[in-house]
Order: sequence, then structure tokens, then C-alpha cells
Amino acid sequence: MKALRKVIDNAFVALSARMLLGFIFVVASTDTIADPTAFATSISYYKIVGAPLTLIIATVLPWLELLCGLFLLFGMLTKGSSGLILLMLVVFTGGVLSGIARGLDISCGCFTRDPTVDKIGWLKVSENLLLIVLGFVCLFTNSTRFTLVHGVDPDSSPARRSASDAS
Amino acid sequence: MRSLFVMIVREAALIAFAAVLLGFGYGFVMKKGLFAPTQPTSNLPVAPPAPTFIDYEEALRCFREGSALFVDARHEYDYKLGHIRGAINVPLKDFDLATSPLAPTPKNQLIVTYCDGAECNSSIELAQKLAAAGFTNVKMFFGGWNEWQQHHLPTE
Repeated sequence: MKALRKVIDNAFVALSARMLLGFIFVVASTDTIADPTAFATSISYYKIVGAPLTLIIATVLPWLELLCGLFLLFGMLTKGSSGLILLMLVVFTGGVLSGIARGLDISCGCFTRDPTVDKIGWLKVSENLLLIVLGFVCLFTNSTRFTLVHGVDPDSSPARRSASDAS
Repeated sequence: MRSLFVMIVREAALIAFAAVLLGFGYGFVMKKGLFAPTQPTSNLPVAPPAPTFIDYEEALRCFREGSALFVDARHEYDYKLGHIRGAINVPLKDFDLATSPLAPTPKNQLIVTYCDGAECNSSIELAQKLAAAGFTNVKMFFGGWNEWQQHHLPTE
């Protein structure tokens, strides 16, 4: 456990996880922001939520991905953004698993609106699990090197947090 | 640990609020998604009839009458493994009307698209593309290749 904590708290491990996860979410959001209607169509192929809700999800979700990605890249609000990213990844993975269980032959809708590429499958689940691991690193690391956390919220430093927990 | 949880919730709520504002704001300003304008139908050219679903009985009737051109929307590999007798292969992935075998087909020809079955969307996507390309009589065989095989209907 101590070894794992040491790895997670390593500044370069935390930085790499943040950069990778942030970059992926920023890239994933650009195509969907440009065409929310097509994104809503991709969501509807999962046959999980009704038509009005898919359009609302397609309106908000890409911006959530973009903001979380940008905040991770710039090292601001990293706990909130990695928490949200973890939540999104868990929901996405659940959707993909549900699609696999029902034998759906559909595109993931993750990075492109092209219905013929990026099909859902175990590879997609594996990718998501890898991203979930990165999300956990971002969420639980105590390293604030290379971040702007202190510039925004001085209370968020590990030392302050420990003091706060003790009290 | 509790302070970490509080921080996560506080920051996440802030980001989620900003995402809602940006999402709805962008959609409203750019007239996209929820706010995409619905054009008045009176000024629009008459659209071709939208593709409709047919079940296997209807598909079989079209097949026996010889009135329909069956179009297999699956990949070439799957098509070569087996397809409805007489069907041509137009994979959705490479669809380009100009270079497809459908190029010389009259626009009012009855076309029946299909893919593996109820759990694939290629036939729907292809039917929509064909309708957009001007074909006026496009139908989608919902049960597709799987249902055709289940009923032991003619294949090749």
C-alpha cells in the first residue's frame, strides 16, 4: 500500500496521468461540441435513454468533458474534474457493457460521429478501465507540483488538508 | 478524507454548473442541438419519402415478386460469406453513390437494405443515405441476414 501511495504521489506520475487524461477528454469533446445532434443520435443507438434526454445529454456532456479535460491539463480544480471524469468513465463503461450484453453492433460515439468506426467491444472496455486507473491517480494523488491548485484554492494543499482532517 | 470528499463535490458542482451554462448557451447562440431551428415546411422542397421498416414477410414478398433490389450494407467480408440471393453489396463504410453499383439504378427503384439483424444500424444508415441521394422507394429489412437465414430462405 505504501509503495502504491509513493507511486501515486510521484509528481511526474501525477503530471503524466493528468496530461494524458486531460488531453483525451479535450480531444473527445471537440467533435461532439461541433455537432450535438449527431452526438444525440450516437447516444440513442445505445437504446438506454429516451429521445428528449439524449439531446439534453448531448448538449451538456461534451462541455463537461472539455472543461474537465482543460482543468486537468492546466492543473486547476483537479479533484473535482478527475472525480467527474471517473463518474463519466464508469457510466460510459456501463453503457458499453450493456451494449455488448445486448449484442448491439454500434459505434461507441466517443471520438467521432462516423457510425462505421470505433465499434463498442471489449477493447473499448479495456481502454475505459485504463482511463479509470488514470482518473484514480489524478483523484488520490497528494502531489500538487506542476499544478495551479495553490493559485486558485490555497486550502487545497495536502498540508492544509491534513491539518483540516486532524481538526 | 472528508475534506477531500467535500472538495471533490464542491469543485465538481462548479464544473458541472459551468458545463450546463456553456452547453445551453452555445446551443442557443449557435442554434444547435436542442435549439436547432425547425424550418417552416411550406418553403421547403418536397422531401422524398423517408425509408420505412419492413418485416421478413414483406421482404420475402418483395423477393418473390422480384420487384426489389436487395442491398447488403455489411462489410464485403460478411457479404462474401453469404447473402440474400441476388443482393448487391454496398458497405456503409465506403458508400459513395457515384462509384457504387447503385449509380445506374433508377431513383424510383424499390430498394431493400439489410445488415446482420435487429442489433445493427448499417442498413438504417445506408437507407438514410440512399434517401438523401434521391432514392424515393427505400425500405429497411429490420430482421436482416439473421432472420433470413432462420427462415431458410434463398441465399448464395
